Amino acid sequence: MKLLQKLGQPVSIVALGVVTATLLAACGGGGETPPSSFPGLTVADGAAYLASNQHVHKFNPATGKELWRYPAIGQTFPSGEVHGPFAGEPLRFKDWVIVGGTIGSNGIPDARLYAFDDKAGTAAWTWSVPGTTEQERREFADGVVTDGKLIFAANGNGTLYALDPASMEGSTPKLVWQFTTGNKLWSRPLVLDGRVYQSSLDHKLYALDAATGKEIWNYQAGASIASTPVIADGVLYFGAFDGYFHAVDAASGVEKWKSPVDAWVWTRATLVGKTVYFGDTKGRFYALNTADGSRRYTSTLGGSIHAQPLLDKQSLYVVSTDTFVYVLPQDGSGEVVAQRLSDSGYLRRLTAAPAVYEGALLLPLFDGDVKLTAIRLENRIKVFDLLLATATPVPAAP
Amino acid sequence: MIGNIFDLLVVNPMTNILLLLYGLLGQSFVLSIVVLTLLIRLITLPLTFKQQVSAAKMAAMQPRIKEIQEKYKNEPAKVQSELRRIGFSPLSGCLPLVIQFPVLIGLYQAIVRTLSLTPLSLLELGRYVYDFLPNLSQLVPINGTFLGFINLGSTNHTASFYAIPILVVVTTWLSSKVMQAPSADPTTAQTNQMMTMTMPLMIGFFSLSTPIGLGMYWIASNMIGVLQYYVTKPRMDAIKAQYAVEHSAAGVSAAKAVVDAAKPVAAPPRAKVKAKSTGRINQSASRKDKEK
Repeated sequence: MKLLQKLGQPVSIVALGVVTATLLAACGGGGETPPSSFPGLTVADGAAYLASNQHVHKFNPATGKELWRYPAIGQTFPSGEVHGPFAGEPLRFKDWVIVGGTIGSNGIPDARLYAFDDKAGTAAWTWSVPGTTEQERREFADGVVTDGKLIFAANGNGTLYALDPASMEGSTPKLVWQFTTGNKLWSRPLVLDGRVYQSSLDHKLYALDAATGKEIWNYQAGASIASTPVIADGVLYFGAFDGYFHAVDAASGVEKWKSPVDAWVWTRATLVGKTVYFGDTKGRFYALNTADGSRRYTSTLGGSIHAQPLLDKQSLYVVSTDTFVYVLPQDGSGEVVAQRLSDSGYLRRLTAAPAVYEGALLLPLFDGDVKLTAIRLENRIKVFDLLLATATPVPAAP
Repeated sequence: MIGNIFDLLVVNPMTNILLLLYGLLGQSFVLSIVVLTLLIRLITLPLTFKQQVSAAKMAAMQPRIKEIQEKYKNEPAKVQSELRRIGFSPLSGCLPLVIQFPVLIGLYQAIVRTLSLTPLSLLELGRYVYDFLPNLSQLVPINGTFLGFINLGSTNHTASFYAIPILVVVTTWLSSKVMQAPSADPTTAQTNQMMTMTMPLMIGFFSLSTPIGLGMYWIASNMIGVLQYYVTKPRMDAIKAQYAVEHSAAGVSAAKAVVDAAKPVAAPPRAKVKAKSTGRINQSASRKDKEK
């Protein structure tokens, strides 16, 4: 009763603040720290690589047997040294697997690129973003790409870096050029025919010379561009946050058409013949004619769609943050009803593009300890889970 | 389900208002936080006022409560019934605070969501931006820096020399110190004093692990709270005086009568309050005379 009497005092406002702060602090939940950037999956040469939150994994895509992970179990670093978390599709290049560091749970990014030895899973080299301040040293949110010679890495500080791993300066690759835009770069570039196409949250898509980093043209959308463009027949296709999906001539940067959509588009589109497929952040899915941007069909899914749709045997597999995998037809008209791969969903947000290996859908999961699940598409039965807790990795050398 | 409703009714509107303010106020996120905090304080002013009135009423009742507790110290049930009879209701002070609680949580979530510190949070923001408000999408991502070097989304306070947590501690202390009602009961006074010292430190400690932008919110909220206190102080002083007089003069019947005083939500001018209070006390006095 005395306590209740005291609650009537103004000081209880402060007590309320403390309770609020405690609850807010507890909102993070238990277990592994929630990830901040999207996982990435790559399948190459019979092996699969997954960059997901605190670890990079190499595993057998047929069985789910983990071959290595970084950091290895029990691996320790000098006090205060942070490795990861990791995000984006790992790049298999030469004898390395290259992955970028992303934002940690404390909001501080690991502004480094890591090249892991493909066999051992140990760090062969790292490259650190120049600078000393938190503003200068930001995250690699979406992995890196290569033209076979240089590595192109887009950073959250707004700068695209081109590195030459053939010319090492000490233990790190040489920085060949860098190009700075007006805002964050949260998508990897598209590299083709001597050009690099980089979208930026500064509302622009840039075309750069791959060898020199010199700007060739830029195209301005009405809002941020976060999707990596795709290209066909000399036309770039990408979505933006301005409520349009854009088609731009790759040679000149001139707009060919733009088609209205219902929300922001972050997805990298999938091009099949004369149709471009993508989703938006409010769960709508679109199939547009590449010729003029007219709609072939639309579909209403749930959650937000971030990952690139996957085409396999005339079916499109689209993952959403509402935990479901949706199956859509390659052809259709009007409003198409999407089927769910599993009625119960996968209990975790799905934000990374899946892959198909020997008839099984490899599905990276965003939250929790199960990092990936594999589902056989012909009978929709689970083949394996890649578990964070129970895997038996080959220990990496310190 | 509850989370979705909370999102729909509280967090989403706040997120969009924050973005709207950000566009209107020269794309200054700190200014947007301050103005939204001010708006929320204004909207919840009736509740805050009701809570303060209730606190004043409970404080005025303290001597009477103590008297009852002493008198019936071996009869807990009798204490309860007597306290009910005089209109003692400790939860009446809490209720307005409980109602404000979701608002606080909602504002916290709206700030985090609008800051969009990570790719994931920006993706989520895309689901909640209203289509019917023009040009909001153009503002994203917001400029999350303050004074050119303080990253509002960062939890690393070293760059700003821990200025924000320190200011959080100072303003929380100031706010609780200013708003703390003096108590005649030494135990209560001691508890209040202890809370005034420890609570700011605890909130300051929490602010070390939250984004700097949220620390800004705490500072703005505390300062607006202090300002609000001084604006409503004349009205509160009049009400406290009224309760004190009624409790000493009219005892139990007057205590019941003043419950009604907590009902008005808008603070009238000081002169009017005094006239109103005097009238009420006179009514109580004449009632007392009649009873005699």
